[in-house]
Amino acid sequence: MNAASPAVEMRGITKRYGAFTALESVDLVVERGTIHAVVGENGAGKTTLMKALFGSIRPDEGTIAVEGEARTFRSSKEALAAGLGMVSQHYAIIPELSNLQNLMLGAEAGPLISQKAAETRANAIMHTMGFAFDWAKPSGGLSPGDAQKLEILKLLWRNARIMILDEPTAMLSPADSDMLFSSLRRLVDGGATVILVTHRVAEVLDHARSVTVLRAGKGMGTFPTAELTPSSLAELIIGESPPRFTADPPTPGPVRLSAQGLSTKGERGNFACRNVTFHLAAGEVVGVAGVDGNGQRELFEMLMGTRRTESGQLSLDGEKITNASPRARLAAGLACVPEDRHAEAVVEGWNLSDNAILSRQRFDPISQKGTLQSGPIAEWTKRVISAFDVRNPGVKSAIGSLSGGNQQRFVVGRVLGSDPKVILAFQPTRGLDLKATGRIYERIRQQCRAGNTGLVVSFDLEELIQHCDRILVMRDGELLDPGTMDRAVIGRLMVGGA
Amino acid sequence: MKHPYFRLALLVLAAIVAVALLFTTVDRPLPEVWEGFVRGTTGTPIAWTGTLRETTPLLLLGAGVFIALRAGLFNIGIEGQFIVGAACSTWVALNVPGPPGTEPVRMLLAMLAGGVSGALWALPAAWIKAYRNGHEVISTIMLNSIAIALTDFLVAGPLKDPKGASPSTARLSEAMRLPFAFSQGNLQVSSGLLLGIALAVAMYLWLRFRVAGYELRLTGENPTAARAAGVSVARVTMAAMVASGAIGGAAGAIHVLAFEGRFYQGFSPGYGFDALGVALLAAGNSLLLIPAGFLFGFLTKGGASLQVFGVPKGITTIMLGLIILVAAAIRYRRESNDA
Repeated sequence: MNAASPAVEMRGITKRYGAFTALESVDLVVERGTIHAVVGENGAGKTTLMKALFGSIRPDEGTIAVEGEARTFRSSKEALAAGLGMVSQHYAIIPELSNLQNLMLGAEAGPLISQKAAETRANAIMHTMGFAFDWAKPSGGLSPGDAQKLEILKLLWRNARIMILDEPTAMLSPADSDMLFSSLRRLVDGGATVILVTHRVAEVLDHARSVTVLRAGKGMGTFPTAELTPSSLAELIIGESPPRFTADPPTPGPVRLSAQGLSTKGERGNFACRNVTFHLAAGEVVGVAGVDGNGQRELFEMLMGTRRTESGQLSLDGEKITNASPRARLAAGLACVPEDRHAEAVVEGWNLSDNAILSRQRFDPISQKGTLQSGPIAEWTKRVISAFDVRNPGVKSAIGSLSGGNQQRFVVGRVLGSDPKVILAFQPTRGLDLKATGRIYERIRQQCRAGNTGLVVSFDLEELIQHCDRILVMRDGELLDPGTMDRAVIGRLMVGGA
Repeated sequence: MKHPYFRLALLVLAAIVAVALLFTTVDRPLPEVWEGFVRGTTGTPIAWTGTLRETTPLLLLGAGVFIALRAGLFNIGIEGQFIVGAACSTWVALNVPGPPGTEPVRMLLAMLAGGVSGALWALPAAWIKAYRNGHEVISTIMLNSIAIALTDFLVAGPLKDPKGASPSTARLSEAMRLPFAFSQGNLQVSSGLLLGIALAVAMYLWLRFRVAGYELRLTGENPTAARAAGVSVARVTMAAMVASGAIGGAAGAIHVLAFEGRFYQGFSPGYGFDALGVALLAAGNSLLLIPAGFLFGFLTKGGASLQVFGVPKGITTIMLGLIILVAAAIRYRRESNDA
């Protein structure tokens, strides 16, 4: 071990998945005793890079050295043994266990646990960080901020010297975030190293000493944060503006779907959407940009009625539908391409024709007086399949036997085929090539130009700028209007750079 | 991937081979035991009557388990619903007065009482599952224990035939017995069996062609997708569980009216649990309940008739258990592969 060598030194890391290159010759050098940020959009390769460091994937090319020693970890346990630990976005804390039990879980001193010895060591670690935990209490009552702190203590318990924190402030309030960073600074002052994976520009500039920027799997370089401004960093993350090619600008019609101050809670009881207001006019396709996990999913679930609306009002053509059931919303003319196709949009074991009528099963002509109509179903299935050329071995074969791209085209064809008044589409072109993507947006635009309206969520800003009439940005559960199609402005809004 | 029923056919074949192996444990010449087994199950009109009698509750209860299973619910409580339905229908059949000639109406009333009480017995489990997400297996097992203990108490006390010595109700009059659908010499086929077959066929058509049936299957396969498709998962869960309980209760009533003519302690030899195997064996097709129910009835009757050869009755029970285990393993294999 060489005291002068960097904590982590990754050189020329390349990772390919088939024809797709997730990482292309990326370098990451992290000096000891610093907070080092790794930033980039969704899909830029941050997580893949961290996984390569941690040993959960094997890079195709490149070398990794930890504290000057060449390493290839085969498991997170090996990485931990070398002093490298990670706190993932989803905390691994078991609510039924006590704080102390969670702290030790999987890293107990031996087969027999000495409560007293464990508590003494836990207290020692806790005091160096300036935290306060009641060790006997169950962890279920911890706030997200405290849970994050407990995760950090878990790494210290395991003697980690280098800590990777993946989006540590995603769940935290601003006050909790500040507390977290002050304790992280205490950590690095004590000689530890922190790698901060994030997409928040402000956080990087306020707390990290240097930052490595990834864009589309390529390293854009490492910079001292002192030399960066919010807008120059946002520019580095987002890149240049691409040309738009919306050929036919919409003629604005009357407002069809109108949301006024909608709020809903997420899985943890926190407010996932806060005071969301927007108005969709007949004729237009509106894109929702934003980094994954900023409330887009909850917003869509609320719009479809599968998630409870806590406050606010939603109306379609002036009719209030705030508390309408999902079925009533479908009947009123809402249709949705859900985010998770596997879980929400298809039954994998069912054949194409049974899947084609999903969500249309109550409506004429698919069923009449509660009986499914085989003739119209066969015709409808044919339409769904031909809308976007779903390649299939026959309508009686299971949809699970189709490729992911074909399944996606099937689902989009089904949603658009019902000619909905409001098209809600969550990543409608997920896994599709450029040609299919273009065709799907063209069809969405066509149907909207005919007097309907559409709201499209995508994590690909490029795609939204190219195909939508205007763009809103979702950040921290709030829907913001950049008032422009300018890529740099939208990009800054997405990551919180002023 | 072979046809899904291919494995089930193999399973049934394996069961028959297992029966054959059982014979070798007996101290008698093999052909003689085999002949006894065949004669005891299908060899004579009396044997057929017995086999079909065993088949009837197994088929009906299998249908009850099946409908819940299609909605993604494991109604292990069908045993309790069967017992409660039998007890309630016996009480109604014995105590609702009426002049001679009204027996068909009173029998219908008794069956209705069986169905309603079975449904009510399933209701707590349905509600806990639908609105509190409590697991139906736990709650229905508990309800089974309550059903057994409660009816044991009733039939030893308030419902006991004062003239009898054993904990049993009085016997129903001959006029209060379900008529045979077919009766010639010693061969008697209960109309309960026909009801079971009709139920399996109706279920097949309903699940396949009715929107409500489609939504029930959808809920069982993928509740998240069902919700997104405008289905109230809680309501379907309630309906499926309660329907399953109603079938279980009605099966209890039929068992009283068609075969037993009374209710007594230890009324069910575990038909409800064997019915889980019948439903699992039928996989996704309710028409297969009919052969599956028959197979179970056949083996149960065969086990009884082998006793004269010194083969303990429990051995066929072990075999039924094995079939249930393997059928469950086949059924749930795909799901665990997904996870």
